[in-house]
Amino acid sequence: MIQFIHASKFYPPQTKALDDLSLHIYPGEFVSIVGQSGSGKTTIVKCLIGEEKLDSGQIILGDWDITRVSNREIPYLRRQIGVIFQDFKLLPKKTLAENVAFALQVCGKSPKKIKAIVPSVMKIVGLTEQMNRYPNEVSGGEQQRAAIARALVYQPKILVADEPTGNLDSINAEEIVNLLLKINDLGTTVILVTHNREIVNNLNRRVITISDGRLVNDQARGKYII
Amino acid sequence: MLLSLGRIIKFGLQDVWRNFWLSLATIMILVLTLFSVDLLLSLRIIGQAAVDNLKNRVDVSIYLKQGISEDKILNLKARLANLNNVQEVVYISQSAALESFQQRHQSDPEILQALQELNQNPLAPALTVKPKDPDHFEELVEELDQVQDPIIESRNFQDNKKLLDKINYITDKINDAAVIISAIFLFIMILVMFNSVRLAIYSHRQEIIIMKLVGASNFFIKAPFLFSSLIYTFIGVVLTATIFYSFLTVLQPYLDTFFFGYNVDLVTYFNSRWLVIAGLQFTGAAVINLLASYMAVGKYSKI
Repeated sequence: MIQFIHASKFYPPQTKALDDLSLHIYPGEFVSIVGQSGSGKTTIVKCLIGEEKLDSGQIILGDWDITRVSNREIPYLRRQIGVIFQDFKLLPKKTLAENVAFALQVCGKSPKKIKAIVPSVMKIVGLTEQMNRYPNEVSGGEQQRAAIARALVYQPKILVADEPTGNLDSINAEEIVNLLLKINDLGTTVILVTHNREIVNNLNRRVITISDGRLVNDQARGKYII
Repeated sequence: MLLSLGRIIKFGLQDVWRNFWLSLATIMILVLTLFSVDLLLSLRIIGQAAVDNLKNRVDVSIYLKQGISEDKILNLKARLANLNNVQEVVYISQSAALESFQQRHQSDPEILQALQELNQNPLAPALTVKPKDPDHFEELVEELDQVQDPIIESRNFQDNKKLLDKINYITDKINDAAVIISAIFLFIMILVMFNSVRLAIYSHRQEIIIMKLVGASNFFIKAPFLFSSLIYTFIGVVLTATIFYSFLTVLQPYLDTFFFGYNVDLVTYFNSRWLVIAGLQFTGAAVINLLASYMAVGKYSKI
């Protein structure tokens, strides 16, 4: 499903964010990508959603070589991959429901469809009662759940979670991880980028360890080893 | 397409309303800038009215021989009035000239005493010629020089020509200075307007990045901001017109008193041209704001 083939990315003057990285993620997998700060985890996410371009190598998503996508195609690429971030990245002047609806509006879905989809997705993430509140009126956990709802409305085949629990307490973090597992059970490939040892060890799923932009360990039922 | 347009308008209006204080600040800066433009225009109108008035006071006198019959004088007056560059010819008889002279020097007893001692009216009758256009004064002088009539005693246009040249010189300099000052002011105003919109967009930079990450196209991100800019401009122009018109209504009686006889009527001037002025202001401000929005949103959506 996702292939990084000899992917390299450098930042001037001499930072190697990705160094000849090759990996393969299969459909329906739940993969944790772990590593210390600055190891290149977030660069993987950025390259995957077209926020950064590789200096060399390829990233294949299904039949699509996303290293060759034009700037015009990037919005379409981002609608194929659901992404959630550590800082939630919700629009502050829109309610939680409007944030979720916005993702559908940008791809031209009709108001009728949006009216039908948004409440059902909000129900999945447990935010039916908070859907008309603004992000600053709800907790961090609820904001992250809204971000997950927004990522899910496209019904993406891949959900990338970049440090989704970084700003949350342990109870909220556990809830978010459980939600990601639930989404994975429904068939969505989940890529969890984190440096939270406890979460990774409790998951008992595939773990890819990155260090200095290189793949140093890839275990089917792995642990956080650094 | 219609759906996208509807959403762009909705998001634009939402942006203006939900960022109320930011919108208000942007509109206020716009109002101040446009108000300054109106003030600059008013100063120019007042200055131009004063200069025109001064120029209109310049005329030339043709002095006639004494004891000439009224018929001959009126005949010459008619000939002069038919000249191309003449607007009006006024006949000042000997007695009218004396009366005017006495009135002018009523506070000067020595001159009046000297006049009395002469025991006769020493002033010549004259025809005062008003130019159609003070800027074509030289052509008028040429025309008058060609008029030959035995009843003409003297004609001396040089003093008036010098005066008009001096007025023209001063007004040219004032106009040059006004153009430079206006250009500087306009440049500053454009910068203020441009940067206030850029600052407003700067405060939205995080939102723009989020929209981009969610998969919004550049057009879908930019269009609501461009629409908001148009709303700011429209409200700004309407507010400016309202405030400036109220200001003029209060100011006009003072202008009438201060510039008595100068015909400085700003209310009428703006009333008769409000559509053109408001239209030009809207177009100018809209172009600046749209450009600023387009550039600023473009800068933050490069991810």
